[in-house]
Amino acid sequence: MMTRRSFGLLGVALVALLMTTAEAAEKGFQVPVEYVKLDNGLKVVLSPDHTAPTVVVAVYYNIGFRIEPKDRTGFAHLFEHMMFQGSENLGKMEFIRLVQRNGGVLNGSTRFDFTNYFEILPSNKLETALWAEADRMKGLNITQENLTNQQGVVMNEVRVNVLNQPYGGFPWLDMPQVANSNWYNAHNFYGDLKDLEAATLGDVQQFFRTYYAPNNAALVVVGDFDPPEGLALVKKYFGGIPAVAQPPKPDLTEPRQEAEKRVTKVDTLANRPAIAIAYHMPDRNTPEYYAMGLLDEILLQGDDSRLRQQLVQKKGYTGSVDGGINLLGNMYDYDGPMLWMASMIHDKTVTADQILQAWDEVIDKVIQEPVDRATLDRALVKLRSDYYDQVGGYFGFGRADLLASFALFDNDPSRINGLEQHFAAVTPELIQKTAREYLRKGNRTILIIEPKQGS
Amino acid sequence: MTHPFKAVLAAAFFLIASAIAQKQLPPEGGAPKDFVLPQKTVATLPNGLTLTLVPYGEIPKVSISVVVRAGNLNEAADQVWLADVLGDLMKEGTTTRSAAQVAQDAAGMGGNVNVNVGMDVTTISGDVLSEEAPQFIRLLGEIVRHPLLPGSELARIINDKVRELSVSRSQPGPLALEEFRRLLYPNHPYGRVFPTQEMLKGYTIDEVRKFYAANFGAQRTAIFVAGMFDKSDVAQAVQDAFGDWVQGPAIFVDVPKPTTRQSFGLVERPGAPQSTIYFGIPVVNPSDKDYVKMVVTNSLLGGSFASRITSNIRERKGYTYSPYSQLSTRYRDAYWVEVADVGTDVTGAALKEIVGEIRRLQSEPPPEAELRGIQNYLAGTFVLQNSTRQGIIGQLAYLRLNELPDSYLTEYVKHVYAVTPADVQKMTQEYLRDKDMTLVIVGDKKKVEDQIKDYEKPVPEKQ
Repeated sequence: MMTRRSFGLLGVALVALLMTTAEAAEKGFQVPVEYVKLDNGLKVVLSPDHTAPTVVVAVYYNIGFRIEPKDRTGFAHLFEHMMFQGSENLGKMEFIRLVQRNGGVLNGSTRFDFTNYFEILPSNKLETALWAEADRMKGLNITQENLTNQQGVVMNEVRVNVLNQPYGGFPWLDMPQVANSNWYNAHNFYGDLKDLEAATLGDVQQFFRTYYAPNNAALVVVGDFDPPEGLALVKKYFGGIPAVAQPPKPDLTEPRQEAEKRVTKVDTLANRPAIAIAYHMPDRNTPEYYAMGLLDEILLQGDDSRLRQQLVQKKGYTGSVDGGINLLGNMYDYDGPMLWMASMIHDKTVTADQILQAWDEVIDKVIQEPVDRATLDRALVKLRSDYYDQVGGYFGFGRADLLASFALFDNDPSRINGLEQHFAAVTPELIQKTAREYLRKGNRTILIIEPKQGS
Repeated sequence: MTHPFKAVLAAAFFLIASAIAQKQLPPEGGAPKDFVLPQKTVATLPNGLTLTLVPYGEIPKVSISVVVRAGNLNEAADQVWLADVLGDLMKEGTTTRSAAQVAQDAAGMGGNVNVNVGMDVTTISGDVLSEEAPQFIRLLGEIVRHPLLPGSELARIINDKVRELSVSRSQPGPLALEEFRRLLYPNHPYGRVFPTQEMLKGYTIDEVRKFYAANFGAQRTAIFVAGMFDKSDVAQAVQDAFGDWVQGPAIFVDVPKPTTRQSFGLVERPGAPQSTIYFGIPVVNPSDKDYVKMVVTNSLLGGSFASRITSNIRERKGYTYSPYSQLSTRYRDAYWVEVADVGTDVTGAALKEIVGEIRRLQSEPPPEAELRGIQNYLAGTFVLQNSTRQGIIGQLAYLRLNELPDSYLTEYVKHVYAVTPADVQKMTQEYLRDKDMTLVIVGDKKKVEDQIKDYEKPVPEKQ
């Protein structure tokens, strides 16, 4: 028997479809959400969208690189590669071949708190994709040869993205290691090459048995399909996979940071200095968290943002200031301590202290006075506009990412329709209060890249 | 600077799958649903500007692109990146709005003005909330027709460009592209990827304004609107904002004659743990009747995850992470190239495998089933390419640049499926002649040189 929890009923979708497009625009866009938990604990989210005859199948496992084994840095990511190396009915590379010859694309990625796998296919191939994802959730069939091959591939991935690039790990890989103090948040997520080399087939099997269980996963289907039919197929292929007792989650908390940290890294491939500044975020889903989302829009996102206007337009210190909340995803798809971060490349004629002084002028202003209504309204419009693209774009994958995260981390995928209310409730006073606590100097880490060579 | 950890994956058709009888076969799925390309409405204004409207989707947003036939192609040899400097300056305010006001106005509509400069076109675009479409078109009209191009901001913009150039020149990928294009297109703008710092520092505001005046005008411009919007309001806004624009300069054409003989370039990167390889050759361009055959051939050989080269050098050998081949096109011009960052010690071995895969396809047609898989893949990704607002605009802008009829899109899938194994072999023989290819490597010279002796030829002098 299965428990059925339905937060946003299918009816919402039908009503939305009956409205004319103009009406839909007036009433705001509602994402249809049907949420079901199978007996084995698998969280299933169904969200039809008939814009194009395509379908997204996404499986999110609640295991990210934060909590990989301590003597196996980089293992969560290496393991992600192994999920394509063979299961009971699909040999090495057959999974990819299957998706491609059915007209689809696929990928996987490893993040702070989950590892995801997804396919985007013509919608008549939904059953094919569900069968294939279920096959590898049941078990892997990996040889030493395949493990060795992927160790080579991953080491080349680290070389091309980090070791052979100026600003290679900057700031996305470097900053968490210096800003955080808890090992789970502060180790090298790509992994030391030594640790990657040391991985064994036994490690692979152990990791799979521990974390790749239906009760530690969310399955999301978005696109041109009929939810009752989709649900029947999900039950057919995933229903019989047994649950596995999960280990307790380690303590991921970070202590309140009291003093500013400053770290310098020499980059022998770079020829211009760079600086990144990161602040610890408020806890997820608190009022302050939503206020930080708006502060991010006001300070850092888009040409009108205050930091861009100050550092690019007014001071001419850099060509762009980049960053945001969770550089490996978005402000919704993580579940633990997180950083709000910005970075820029600048000239040697400008010092880090000059940049920080100009930076602080902007930050001090949001600490010292409440933002004006026009600025706050503009931030809300930017957020809504981005949100529409997140739930409507990327062929449905953007929507799947939010639904999977809210199912996995909050057990409530219908949160996708309530976000705007939380942002709308943020007042100028709350923004100021949030800035005072979270944008204080003591809460930040400054990472400086010192180039070794010339112009 | 977002770098999700991605597993880009590949498969090999030619490996013999262990055929265990007990294995389940994947379910086939249901009957395919029809895919109909979104309907478009096209209008041409008396001044030559065209407007294409594509109502699409259920998300209350709209994408608007103003595409002007002006870009790096229009630069003289001593004007490299002048088009890019102009592009940046176009965001520095109009005759009636300051730069900060442009940014705030766009943000208030839920968007941002983006200016993207390419070889053939400059695109000024943004995505805004549906109801803001007319206002955003008026804003774009001001930016495109009445940019302030303030001399006071030129030094800052140029300094940013000098920094950008310096950073690009410290990365192996851009260095490889620069050398590859230099060898392929001697004495043509397509061959000039980077300026010198001195060149950049010499540009004056008069030169920028002259470049604008010589290259921007209604008959070089096409506007594309896709998403949810009110058609008559949008058409009216375009009429108001662009209707009285001068016709301006005629479209400028300068088709290159790329190198079709073997050439070689080795760019030193001391101590590099990987070699960045570009290996390619000019091929038929999108206006040629054989182009779709070339598309299919590319996907099968190196242009998809399950392609032969990727299967070989990544999934069999582990030499590299993200190899790919592509057809890179410009107006009446195209080349095929395989790009891979491979371990320094296996540079020669990787090249040998790449050449081996090309030769294998020259010498024997691909199996029917392998070709069918690629055709299905291209038919499926065609639907994806035409099912987002920006994707739809991208496809229509591509048609317009290459002067292709609508039937290119409406019959694309049919043409993909018409390609035979013999066609693929013939295209490989005729166009992907490995002995005539240009090879560029950015890497550790000392460790690489011995591995690639067979490919090395005298390196042409720098221009």
